[in-house]
Amino acid sequence: MPEKEPSICEEKNYNQLFRNFYEPATKYIYYKCGNLQQAEDIVQNVFIKLWKLCASVSFYKAKSYIYTACNNLFLNDVAHQKVVLKHQRTIKENTDYESPDFLIEIDEFRQKLKTAINTLAIKEREVFLLSRVENKTYKEIAEITGLTVKAIERRMSKALQELRAILGKEIKI
Amino acid sequence: MMKNYDTDDTFLGRWLAGELSEEERIAFEKTGAYKQFDIINKEVQLLEGPNIDTEKALEVVRQKLQMTPQKRKVISLWKSIAVAAILIVSAGMFLNSSKTHTTTIGETQTITLADGSIINLNANSSLSYKRFFWKDNKAVNLTGEGYFTITKGKGFKVNTSKGSIAVLGTEFNIKDRTDFKVMCYKGKVSFTELGNNNESHTLTKGMQVNLTKGSIEKSIFEEDTPSWRQGISSFENQPLSKVLEELALYFPVEFEADAVNSARTFTGSFNHEDLDIALKSTLTPMGIAYEKSDAKNVIILSE
Repeated sequence: MPEKEPSICEEKNYNQLFRNFYEPATKYIYYKCGNLQQAEDIVQNVFIKLWKLCASVSFYKAKSYIYTACNNLFLNDVAHQKVVLKHQRTIKENTDYESPDFLIEIDEFRQKLKTAINTLAIKEREVFLLSRVENKTYKEIAEITGLTVKAIERRMSKALQELRAILGKEIKI
Repeated sequence: MMKNYDTDDTFLGRWLAGELSEEERIAFEKTGAYKQFDIINKEVQLLEGPNIDTEKALEVVRQKLQMTPQKRKVISLWKSIAVAAILIVSAGMFLNSSKTHTTTIGETQTITLADGSIINLNANSSLSYKRFFWKDNKAVNLTGEGYFTITKGKGFKVNTSKGSIAVLGTEFNIKDRTDFKVMCYKGKVSFTELGNNNESHTLTKGMQVNLTKGSIEKSIFEEDTPSWRQGISSFENQPLSKVLEELALYFPVEFEADAVNSARTFTGSFNHEDLDIALKSTLTPMGIAYEKSDAKNVIILSE
């Protein structure tokens, strides 16, 4: 006999979905809009809606529901267009690059990198950061965004090309 | 011609995922642009995502959800049922609850019931009755002693440990202590003894019934009102033990009477107002000496 599907209306199942998907969904929206507060608001509203619809959303399809609903809410949120991506990003570690690689100071380079990422189109930036910062595979990103792996490869290529177009001149060949 | 990053729009994507063929990769690494792509990629990978506090967010969402009624309905259905059940039961218990009046030693109380009946409750006694819907079933429970002045009407009943007294507009006194006595001062009452085939005895004005050691004794009395209502206890050929028992009803004392003959009898009365006077007016005529103990609430009797 197939195991009965857990109900999202049960608090423990709902909490499990929240703990599994709140953070990745928030990062997904954050990489689109660059505003953490806005991203958290969007994802929280999606989870509030999920509870209200708990009886009609399948537990196993909840992940897809959450990402899709987050994206829809984000697209409906006109305010995002005005927000400049302000990654609260920190450099994980000092690199062993030798300064001769750069034509400018490394700190300056990193600052320029952040700015360059901010100028990427949303559809490229979200995919690029999910892959590079969140270490998600293209297959996982495909699940989140609803794109094909092929489309993701294209967006990744385009993003990297654009970053090189902006930053290439700062790196010695 | 081999594909490269300029001619294949998935090339760099595949390179980042490590999915280039060996051939493609070696060729790519030889290009001048490779180093730039590589450094940019390495630098991007050093970036960190935002810090997100999932538990705090869950708390925020739960708080927001508590304001919507749907959640409450779903998760607390059983709780609601339990609460409703408790409310119903406690409302029932409340509606069915009793009001109780209690007097302590030396204290009397006058109680007026919903139908206008008045009950004078003597010392160390209690009267209870249903708080609501009492008129549907006018029953009261008595322990100790009380004088009842009942307004005319049907169905008034007094329950005691020895039996019940049914009434039709009358005045009577019930004493349910060591001895049990019902005295009718006006009108007519009917006493039904508990057990004993539920035998009933009808009393009219001036008649009393005594229940002593299981035997019923009817007799006649002359007083117009029980003496206790005037603050007096009176005795006629009553044994010392009864006198001491009565004294202890009105004064917070105990008696140590082992040293005296308890068979002697007393005829007379005492006033409920002052212990010293009461002791003097009862014990001295019987030739009993007494002294108060240090604790002041034990009175030691001697010949």
